[in-house]
Amino acid sequence: MKLSYNWLKEYIDIRLSPEKLGELLTMAGLCVDSIHKKGNDSVLEIEITSNRPDWLSYIGVAREVGALTGKRLKIPNNVAVSCGSSQSRRGGVNGNSKATIRIEEKKLCPRYTARIIRNVKVGESPKWLKERLEAVGLRSVNNIVDITNFCLFETGEPLHAFDLDKLGGRSIIVRRASKGEKIKTIDGIERILDNDMLVIADDKSPVAVAGVMGGLYTEVSPQTKNILLEAAYFDPISIRRTSRRLALSTDSSYRFERRVDMGNIVRASDRAAQLILELAEGAAGEFIDMGKEEKVLKDIDLRLDRLNKIIGVAVSPSRAKSILTSLGLKVKPLSKNIVRLSPPGFRHDLQNEIDIIEEVARIYGYENIPETIPPVLEPGNRLSPDAVIDKNIRGILVNLGLSEIITYSLLSRKTVELARSSGDNVISIKNPISNEQEVMRPALVAGMLGSIRWNINRRSKDLKLFELGQTYFKEGDNSFIEKKCLAIGVTGQLYDGWIGHPRGVTLFDLKGIIEALFAQMGIKHVSVKEAINPVFSPASCACISVKDDAVGIMGQVDPKILRDFDIKETVYAAQIDCARLMRHISLEKKFRESPKFPSVIRDISIVADKNISNADIVSLIKETAGNILKDAEIVDRYSGGQIPEGKIGLTYRLEYQDPNRTLQDSDVQAIHSRIINALENNLGAKLR
Amino acid sequence: MRDKIREIEKSAVEEITLAVDADALEKARVKYLGRKGLVTELFKNMSGVSPADRAEIGKLINALKETVSKALDEKTPVLSGGSDSGAQKTDITLPGIIREIGRLHPISKTIEEICGVFISLGFKVVEGPEIENEHYNFEALNIPLEHPSRDAFDTFYLNDKWLLRSHTSPVQARFMETNKPPFAIIIPGKVYRPDATDASHSFMFHQIEGLVVSDNIRFSDLKGALTLFARQMFGENTRMRFRPSFFPFTEPSAEVDISCILCSGDAAQRAPHKCSLCGGKGWIEILGAGMVNPKVFRNVGYNPEKVTGFAFGMGVERIAILKYGITDIRMFFENDIRFLRQF
Repeated sequence: MKLSYNWLKEYIDIRLSPEKLGELLTMAGLCVDSIHKKGNDSVLEIEITSNRPDWLSYIGVAREVGALTGKRLKIPNNVAVSCGSSQSRRGGVNGNSKATIRIEEKKLCPRYTARIIRNVKVGESPKWLKERLEAVGLRSVNNIVDITNFCLFETGEPLHAFDLDKLGGRSIIVRRASKGEKIKTIDGIERILDNDMLVIADDKSPVAVAGVMGGLYTEVSPQTKNILLEAAYFDPISIRRTSRRLALSTDSSYRFERRVDMGNIVRASDRAAQLILELAEGAAGEFIDMGKEEKVLKDIDLRLDRLNKIIGVAVSPSRAKSILTSLGLKVKPLSKNIVRLSPPGFRHDLQNEIDIIEEVARIYGYENIPETIPPVLEPGNRLSPDAVIDKNIRGILVNLGLSEIITYSLLSRKTVELARSSGDNVISIKNPISNEQEVMRPALVAGMLGSIRWNINRRSKDLKLFELGQTYFKEGDNSFIEKKCLAIGVTGQLYDGWIGHPRGVTLFDLKGIIEALFAQMGIKHVSVKEAINPVFSPASCACISVKDDAVGIMGQVDPKILRDFDIKETVYAAQIDCARLMRHISLEKKFRESPKFPSVIRDISIVADKNISNADIVSLIKETAGNILKDAEIVDRYSGGQIPEGKIGLTYRLEYQDPNRTLQDSDVQAIHSRIINALENNLGAKLR
Repeated sequence: MRDKIREIEKSAVEEITLAVDADALEKARVKYLGRKGLVTELFKNMSGVSPADRAEIGKLINALKETVSKALDEKTPVLSGGSDSGAQKTDITLPGIIREIGRLHPISKTIEEICGVFISLGFKVVEGPEIENEHYNFEALNIPLEHPSRDAFDTFYLNDKWLLRSHTSPVQARFMETNKPPFAIIIPGKVYRPDATDASHSFMFHQIEGLVVSDNIRFSDLKGALTLFARQMFGENTRMRFRPSFFPFTEPSAEVDISCILCSGDAAQRAPHKCSLCGGKGWIEILGAGMVNPKVFRNVGYNPEKVTGFAFGMGVERIAILKYGITDIRMFFENDIRFLRQF
């Protein structure tokens, strides 16, 4: 709300500069966002929390300033407006009046008042009134409308003036709209209503969306002679629903949905009527008041020891009582420790003891509450096992030269389709604000490819990226599943500075990252199997298993998908299911004595058929050698040159070791020969 | 013979010490240790020494040779810049071969840092689901249906009941339902709100939530813990301001500001010179906090007469933006490697 410093001073003595006032209000919970000079005035932009609708008016803010500074409120004198038929001040339809009021929805409109003022002169507002409205960001319309707006800001009670002669049958009916009923509101827009919405209608059609906006046809115009001034209370939830359904929030609906002070209705109506008589002449007619006064708020008991226990400082009973008195509460001590409090009618937010404690703390000043350190309360682990593992995965991958990315969990349906990730189990968002957030990602590949594209388009082509995040699925309509996954993507060249030659990244660089990660996390018995997956090229796609448990998939991303993502480079990617991986992780490390005796290393170079896999050869070597073989790994793989077509040259490095003695060449020789024989006989390989 | 040895030693050391270039040094080497050098000559003359003295004289000559060699060795690098003067010189100005180091995403880094501060205060890290239901996201936290307090929590829905959590606070309720006080937990995670994306809004962002519950937790404890946090995060000289605010799940509630990290609040005094970060206010809001509302305790089955607690929540992106001076929230999710490599 825009708060004019000069206007506010009408209601309270202020001896503070606008800046100091701003600070005072901010520290009391009325956050001042900015202060602007405007001529000889300053306008404070204040943010009012939804629990304090009583602050949504100048008198409300002045009341708070009064509580903070000890100054007295100066409420404008409300002369009871002389009514043509003052006997009708309460209750029912006035017999002499042509205007009639009927409330069909007493729940949604427990109180409705209408004041008739005849023979008004609609015209321009005086300068002071225009200035007031300008200060709060409103433009002047005419004196009648301006007065209703002025009173809304002064009192917090929204008012509306109808052109009485345009009300069909001179009647006001507060009812629900019928479905499809239409009204053109004063902003000139035709609104289509439904039967959840409350309207003010005449004997034919709606003349206002109750509490939200008046109708164009019955608005006060230069031709208007007689007016009906509405001041009412509408149900907050109903107004909120209507305002949201129509996507129409007004100064009026904003206040009604936060609850206006029912005890203020008549006073606000009187104030407006008085101003109308002053500025637009006219004669006050009948005042019709339908519905009931609200019941008084309930009393609240405050325990002073509880107050001190919650805020952590001993506020003296007299200080607490004076704070509460300054806020307009009636304070009645019940015992040494307990005081009974009666909140003023405009403080609907005060319902429980804690609300009172907050008020004391607020005015006492948060800055006056000391700082203490809470006791250490968690003796156990500070990180859950999941969090420890996440931290490990991130740390290891970063050490391996990968950079972490975070991509959106919500994607367009099209992106998910392009990434070949769509399916029946994909979760849709019911209320996306753009088609970029239609569905939840069922896999991380789309985000990975999106980030790769973004970088390649900006000439960063050598990328090693990973993302650790949730993927989402549904099972049926009411069961949703989140699965944490790890995605890795690599593309471009690997460099060795100015010493070596750059080379293109391969599937085996990706596989190496995964192997290093797994090894570091104590994951053993890892194997890969050829696999078919729509994301990957069928020629190089593998399922990664740990002890026959499929934990992930990796491969070369299908060129067709890359084309759909506008990526021209080769990309290798993997996705690993972290929940499955969890079962195989063992971060416990145990010391093992290093071997006391040196090992013997021997190489074997063979030529073998191209279709024989490395895994077959290694397992044959291991089987044949038995325990004495510590390790066998491929160290070279080559074709061309002297290698015949369809064959491949392979070199394996074999490490033999005996834990109990130094091996001699002669110890190894027999086994080594046996291995060569096995390779020749079982796999048709030839020694080179 | 002994005198001669002493004489040679003296003159050799002197010549070597005074040598001004590699040439002079080389000459000295030849003069003393060369094939016809003075020390070499001494060895040749050993035959003339009496057998009784031979062992001792031999030792002395050896010692002399050692002394001269050492003196030469020590002087050589000083003059020639290397003992291996014949080898190809290395161009030491060539750059080192750098192994690329990966980076944590600045959001992960910030989360780790924030959690680290609270872990050191005795908090435990807890996580919860991103897909939530109305109950945990709203009702359990005293945010009634169709209430203006929901305005702050625009929410993505999956169906009538299920939604994407619009804050990390639902994990509070979930944790309390299955755990007994005392505890101190910190909850990092993604949250979602249907906001149009621009430089300062994102429909997905990260929050960190803290919750401490025990039999005697006070507002002063909240102030103490958060002040420690802010000083660790933004520097020892950071000033803090707790101002009253409203959140449905805490009461009393506070919004917490730190002194502007750009102008330290000085610009506020020097208006109209306005700071680009705080707009001349001198303060920047970093988090919301408060004492757990007794209604929330009752909703999870705690007795609010027996326990009290505080809770706080902050946006990770906001903290990272302030800490690193990042200008656009979208950068976090573009994953531009030139951006990522800066952290």
